[in-house]
Amino acid sequence: MVFSLFLVFSVKSFFMTPTTVHPDQMYIEGLANNDSAIIHAIYKKFVPKVVHYIKNNSGDEDKAQDVIQEVMILLFNQAKSEQLRLTCPFDAYFFLLCKRKWLNELKKHSNKGVTIKEELTSIHESADEMVLQTEHFDKKQQLYDAMFQKLGEKCQELLKLSFALSSMEEVAEKLAVTYGYVRKKKSLCIGQLTQWIQETNRFKSIKNT
Amino acid sequence: MNEEHFLEFDEYLQDEMAVADKLAFEQQLEEQPDLAMAFETYKELQLHLKNKFGQADELNAFKKNLKGISKEHFRKPKPKVIALKPWYYAVAASVAVLFGLFFLNQNSNPTFEDYNQPEMVFFTERGDADANLKLAQDAFNAKRYKEAISLFETILEADKSAEIQYFYGVALLEENKLPEAEVVFTSLEKGNSIYKNKAIWSLALSKLKQKDYKACKELLLMIPEDYEGNDQVDALLNDLD
Repeated sequence: MVFSLFLVFSVKSFFMTPTTVHPDQMYIEGLANNDSAIIHAIYKKFVPKVVHYIKNNSGDEDKAQDVIQEVMILLFNQAKSEQLRLTCPFDAYFFLLCKRKWLNELKKHSNKGVTIKEELTSIHESADEMVLQTEHFDKKQQLYDAMFQKLGEKCQELLKLSFALSSMEEVAEKLAVTYGYVRKKKSLCIGQLTQWIQETNRFKSIKNT
Repeated sequence: MNEEHFLEFDEYLQDEMAVADKLAFEQQLEEQPDLAMAFETYKELQLHLKNKFGQADELNAFKKNLKGISKEHFRKPKPKVIALKPWYYAVAASVAVLFGLFFLNQNSNPTFEDYNQPEMVFFTERGDADANLKLAQDAFNAKRYKEAISLFETILEADKSAEIQYFYGVALLEENKLPEAEVVFTSLEKGNSIYKNKAIWSLALSKLKQKDYKACKELLLMIPEDYEGNDQVDALLNDLD
């Protein structure tokens, strides 16, 4: 398997494909599979550097622990919902994500004007790109969640059930309504979300693609 | 966008459209960028919701695992372990058992001793010249209850006041003469003196001494809220529960 991965890797490099999957992709797969050994390895190899950074920048160990967990959960979600293909070393990617999350956190909670350099300053160009992608994913998730909270109770419940249960027939039975009704209601509820998000995007231009 | 569009999106994504409709829909997407954008958002939302609610268990399992591993890594280093000689273990174990017993005892039922706080008597403040009264007072306050009991008994032959009766009862209670004490307190309880509630409290203490928790509680519940020692009553009721 490692060999085939290597083969794909080299063949792709040979044809100069712009995005090649880095061997560190195994960390992403490990997170997505809730693989304890991989999670332990991440803590052992990559976390100390992050802790060191946060402690040296007005944080402490507890804060570092929180930021790291948030980033791991974010990576889990991204790996689960879209193809997260690592094109740079995990080390640089992970460190940059944690660092920027921490700086944002500082900015949020300080009323003194802490000046933070916003530019990405990593050595890996592809790491910058990957970090932006993940941050974009993060913002999108937060926007979707916020919009979902705006929905009426009925819509929220129906959508929850629609995706938690295996069939719409079950949803109809559970809510004691007809199949036709839940089908229609489901697409209209998602439609409402779609409309709100398009409006928000028009104002905030969160979509950068 | 209107309702029809969203219903169409769903139909298309569920692959329920007839071939002709499908082609027409795809054609529309190509011609109308607004529609295409809305469709993309709709698709993404559907995926987001599917991940959020369809895989909630997986996410929770991951979070739990992550928390545990994180805790392990951030745990403070353990203090150095010093090897103990075997007999140290025996000492440590006995100390642990003693501690355990001590704390277990804290949680067990309340005892008479916890609530036994007999008040001081000051008969002579009234300027009474009776020598026996002074002697009884001194004996009682010095907790020489046996002596106090016989003195009280002499005094009671001439003076059956509620006050004397009450302190006589307390002395009997302290000396573990419970049936006699209860007779005294019961008669006070039936009367209307200012010692009525004190007598009920003392009766409750007598029941507590006999570990009759039920009777103790029933008596405590008879004491009105405005009783001066109500804090003690509430505390004992709490302990009994």
